[in-house]
Amino acid sequence: MRQLIKKEIALCVHPTGYIFLSFALLTFVPNYPYEMIFFFSCLSVFFCCLTARENGDVAFTCALPVKKRLVPIARILTMSGFQCVLLVLTGAVGAIKGAAVPAEMYLNYAGLSANIALLGNAAIVLGTFNLVFFAGYYKNPEKVGIPFVAGGALVVLLIGIFIVLRWTVPFFMQTLNGLNSENAPFKALWLLIGLTVYAVLTAAACKISANRFEKTDI
Amino acid sequence: MNALTVRDLTKTYPGFKLDGVSFTVGQGRIVGLIGANGAGKSTTLKGILRLISATGEVSVYGKDMRAEEFAAKQLIGYAGGGFRFYPMKRLDAIRKAYAAFFPAWDQEKYERYLARFDLSEEKRGKELSDGMKVKFAVALAVSHGAKLLIMDEPTSGLDPLSREEFCDHILGLVRNEGISVLFSTHITSDLMRIADDVVYLSRGKVLADCPLEQLLSRYRVVRFGARGQAEAARAIGIKAVKNGYEGLLERGNAVPDGASAEDATLDSVMIHLEIAGREGEKCGN
Repeated sequence: MRQLIKKEIALCVHPTGYIFLSFALLTFVPNYPYEMIFFFSCLSVFFCCLTARENGDVAFTCALPVKKRLVPIARILTMSGFQCVLLVLTGAVGAIKGAAVPAEMYLNYAGLSANIALLGNAAIVLGTFNLVFFAGYYKNPEKVGIPFVAGGALVVLLIGIFIVLRWTVPFFMQTLNGLNSENAPFKALWLLIGLTVYAVLTAAACKISANRFEKTDI
Repeated sequence: MNALTVRDLTKTYPGFKLDGVSFTVGQGRIVGLIGANGAGKSTTLKGILRLISATGEVSVYGKDMRAEEFAAKQLIGYAGGGFRFYPMKRLDAIRKAYAAFFPAWDQEKYERYLARFDLSEEKRGKELSDGMKVKFAVALAVSHGAKLLIMDEPTSGLDPLSREEFCDHILGLVRNEGISVLFSTHITSDLMRIADDVVYLSRGKVLADCPLEQLLSRYRVVRFGARGQAEAARAIGIKAVKNGYEGLLERGNAVPDGASAEDATLDSVMIHLEIAGREGEKCGN
């Protein structure tokens, strides 16, 4: 598995996978739905899979001495690694912003502030995308577009729901919004819930993808 | 022990069925997998490598491809039709990623092959000619200690000189390193140069699986004046030619008066067997 992940990084990761990590800096933009940062992360997953298809990666990899069912798991874990790095970077940049700007400027009027509760939302968004996109993609790796449209649409819908919640539900509007130091236990709890959902959905994506890919003809 | 044993390999697509393909590749043998376009050659190779979900049993030096996939694939060097992968990547990047999967990777051997093939690792895949791509694929395949080389139409698209070079390299590998080879092709001149055995596929079924010489010596090509004469002689795969009709006759069958016979070539055997669509032509069975 380690070799497969190294191969993914060396041959398959699209430059946007790295470039979009810098989008963590978007948390400095005032009044912006920061969950959108993670939509770009989903876009880089799409680009990686698209590039892999154009490069004949699946046939190359399956001819290597590896179990066929490990091929999709290696891809998902690699992409998941980038997602986790983006989560950490976004959290770190958000914390820096919290320390650097006045509290009233930190408050986000377009969605949640760049705090750890935002990372909970982001983790739910990414986990959902992983499940929908990879499960669809590994049904037929020749078709990258349809799974991305399905996954991307769901991501946008989820982001929309989180924005609506921010404006309609006091828990999101007040408790989860603002600086990390305010209502910290609730924010941490929401982060924990988000990460758990992410882990469960991504694990499900691995299992479904491996099962489907094993039956796929290359 | 055979280098490769394929038993009852079956795969069904809409409109095509690979139907119970069975054959073996002996150690140190070069086996040509032949057949018309769409006969099932690539499907067979994909089935062997488990790139498709076919049923049946495949073992490499006794290691079952399903149960011992990792160990079995360590023994295989696979080269598709040229090297179509990662055209924008430099060859050294591809080699590094590839070599990491093989504990027995021999870098010195790889570099010797690069030098012999006049290949530079600084090039990108897209900068290689078709012949160079095949050579790069072969260099990768043989440098990890593979004992069985599987190639899918490796000479397709190559000029005659490159094909000749390729055949020389394959012969060298077999003679010097004891590697066994299975390669698919529809270029019969390459087969005549290097193949020991042939597996002839037609419409997803094995029509012949035997030494090349045995297949050729089994038939004669006979020219008849009239179709009725050819049918009466029970010629195989009768077709109209310039001055009459032509078909295959097994060597034991008498050539009728007025008909002329000559030694069969691989092309003529393929053409007439294909026309006949005949089953049960497995020599040795």
